[in-house]
This record gives sequence, C-alpha cells and structure tokens, in this order.
Amino acid sequence: MVGIVVVSHSAKIAEGICELAGQMAAPGQKIIAAGGMSGGGIGTDAFKIQAAIEEANAGDGVLVLVDLGSAVMSAELAIDMLGDELKDRVAIADAPIVEGAIAAVVDASIGQPLVSVAATAAGARELRKK
Amino acid sequence: MTKIELVLTNAAGLHARPAAQFVQKASAYTSKVTLAAGTKTADAKSILAIMGLGLGQGSKIELTADGPDEAACLDGLKALVESNFGEG
Amino acid sequence: MANINAAIEVLAQAIIANKELLTDLDSAIGDSDHGINMARGFEAVRAKLAAANSGDDIGAVLKLIGMTLISTVGGASGPLYGTAFLRAAVAAQGKTAIDTDTAAKMLEAAIGGIKDRGKAVRGEKTMLDALEPAYAAFVQGMAEGQALPACLSLATAAAAEGVEYTKTIIATKGRASYLGERSIGHQDPGATSSYILLAAVTDYAKANA
Repeated sequence: MVGIVVVSHSAKIAEGICELAGQMAAPGQKIIAAGGMSGGGIGTDAFKIQAAIEEANAGDGVLVLVDLGSAVMSAELAIDMLGDELKDRVAIADAPIVEGAIAAVVDASIGQPLVSVAATAAGARELRKK
Repeated sequence: MTKIELVLTNAAGLHARPAAQFVQKASAYTSKVTLAAGTKTADAKSILAIMGLGLGQGSKIELTADGPDEAACLDGLKALVESNFGEG
Repeated sequence: MANINAAIEVLAQAIIANKELLTDLDSAIGDSDHGINMARGFEAVRAKLAAANSGDDIGAVLKLIGMTLISTVGGASGPLYGTAFLRAAVAAQGKTAIDTDTAAKMLEAAIGGIKDRGKAVRGEKTMLDALEPAYAAFVQGMAEGQALPACLSLATAAAAEGVEYTKTIIATKGRASYLGERSIGHQDPGATSSYILLAAVTDYAKANA
C-alpha cells in the first residue's frame, strides 16, 4: 500500500491528522507524521521528512501531504536526499492537508497505486463544506 | 446486474469513517458498484465521489452491482449499512 | 581567508544582531519570523561548530552549516540557505583557504542552489535580488584583477543596491506574494539577510587580509 507522510509546520497538526486518518485506514497502512522541528517548535525539517518518507515506504511509494509554502520546499529537499530507487516513487500532493490525507489514506488502503492516491488527494480540493 | 435500496440509519451518514468503510467494503469485490441518491450517482469505490455526495442520516440510497460477485457484494454492503457501520 | 570558524562566527553574530530588524521587515510583508528563524539557525550553527572537530576542511564546515540550517531554521530560509551552503561546500571541498577564484565558485554554487530550491529568478523580490547583482559585481572585480577583500566589497555594495531595489518591486514568491501590490514599498527580508551575510564576510576578509 502506498505510504502516507503528513508534513506540517506544527507537530500537533501532523500527529492529529495521522490519528484521524488512521481511523479510516486498513491494517498495516503506513501513515507517518513529520511535523514541526526537532526542538518542538513551529517549522519544517527536511531531514525529519526524509526519515518519515523512508519509514512510510512499504514498497509501493509514498504520498506526502503538506500544509503551507515552505513545507513544499522542505519536502522537495527531503525527496532530493532520498536514495535513487525511492526518489522516483514519492509525490507531493497538491491538496488540502486534512481532507487530502483522509482521501489518500482510503485510496491507499484499497491498494491503489501512487498515481491514483495522488489524484484522489488532489481531488479533495473540490470537496465543499456547504 | 442487481439492485437494492437501503436507508442510512447511522448518525454520521456517509461521511468520514463510514464513508471509508463503505468504499473499502465495495472495493473488496470485483463487481462494478454504483450508488444513487436522488439525482446524484457515485462510483462506490471512489472515496471522493462518496464523500462528495454528502449523504446524511436518513438518506435513501440505491446500490447497483454488476459483475460475477454482485450478490455477495450487495449483501456485504447491506450488512455494513444495517449494522450502522459498527456503531450499533 | 584563513580561519573558517572565525569567519562563520562573524556571520552568525551579524545575523543574530539583526534578528529584530529581519523580523520587523518580515512583519511588513511576511509572517514575522525571518529574523527569529535565522537567529535560531545561526545560534545552532555556532553550537554545532563549537562542538565539532571539523578541522581545516572548509567544505566540511560549510556542509555542516548547511545541514544545521536545514533542520533548525524552520521556514523557507532553512532549505534555501541550507542548500546554498551545501552547494558552496562542494565548491570548497578539501580547501583550507579561500582564494578569489574559489570564492566566486562558492557564490555561484550558492546562488544556483537557491534558484533550484526556490524556483525563483531575479526581479521577484527575493534574496536573489541581492545575491545575483553581488555575484556580477564580484566577477567584475575579479576581471579587473582586484584582491578578494575588494571583490567582496564590490559584491556587498551591489547587494545593498539590490536590497533597495526590492523596495520598488512587487513580490511574486513566498509569503510576501500573498500581499500583491501591498508588498511594494517594503524591503525584502531575504534580500536583507543575504546582504548582511555578505557584509559580514567582507568585514572579516578586510580585517584579516
């Protein structure tokens, strides 16, 4: 199953999203939080993200959800630092972080490939609240 | 092709966790499954399509399954809905 | 330039001393944390360098700085400056002293790293608006046969002009871009920190020429 990594400037946000998404996941689905800085502060850390991606990979690639601008840059840097085999099988979702993570986890849980999981996450942009 | 009608009796309707369970159950079968509610239809194996319907408690849904395991598929989905998605 | 650790100490102090300025600039057109983030990053750099036994290899020191900034700055400047230092580290690999030629290569590599990471070009109101003119001035100085401290002075002067220029243009990258036209009239925080770093290196080079 495609692994999911949740990157937020806030560790609590990332963990909370993983907890929520975990409720919709199939057993064994990898959902890894990579939020905040090592000291506990607000921000993103490309090394933390790199480690999370490696942990989330179960052989089918990884989709990375991000919150704000610089999280994208940190995630891209993290991907650059991965080994060659994994680098090509990681995508950053163009999606709202919560709704995208939920939709992605469900899609990943039914065994869909990375391209579908990424598209599903992006599709969550269209979900209306009202 | 087989069709059944169901009513969502669980509190959350087809949102969040129940939606996820619904999609996962439907995806376990090879048959094509479509959900219709009023004028809207959705592929039961697409979490986006199901979440996009925004169906709440009390919604009437029509499930159509088409394929070799269509009967078992609808039985499985019926059982899930009628169990209130495991919330009793 | 002889002692890399002493040089970095000057850089770090310059950034930390300007923490409030950088934060204030970032309050006008950003999310008010550039100074805080950069100061935190460079405090961590000081601590890391003090604890490490990097020896004389300037490339190794710059690599350590890059990695430290990536994991401690927190905002966009972490990956941007971190990548800049990592790329400069490659240009300085194995070197125990920096000559004009190496300095030019380091600056070029750093700018390339920032462009690759940030996907920006000159004129978008970013650190590149200080660094690209600085590099051009440095190379011009080199062509005229000037020594390293003189080339750095020219670079710093050009960077200062670049910072002034950022006041006149609209931001199209980063958090400032959300402000659109309201970003005009405000000096870019990233260009400012780039200028501060260059000015600090120049001061060190002149003092230790």
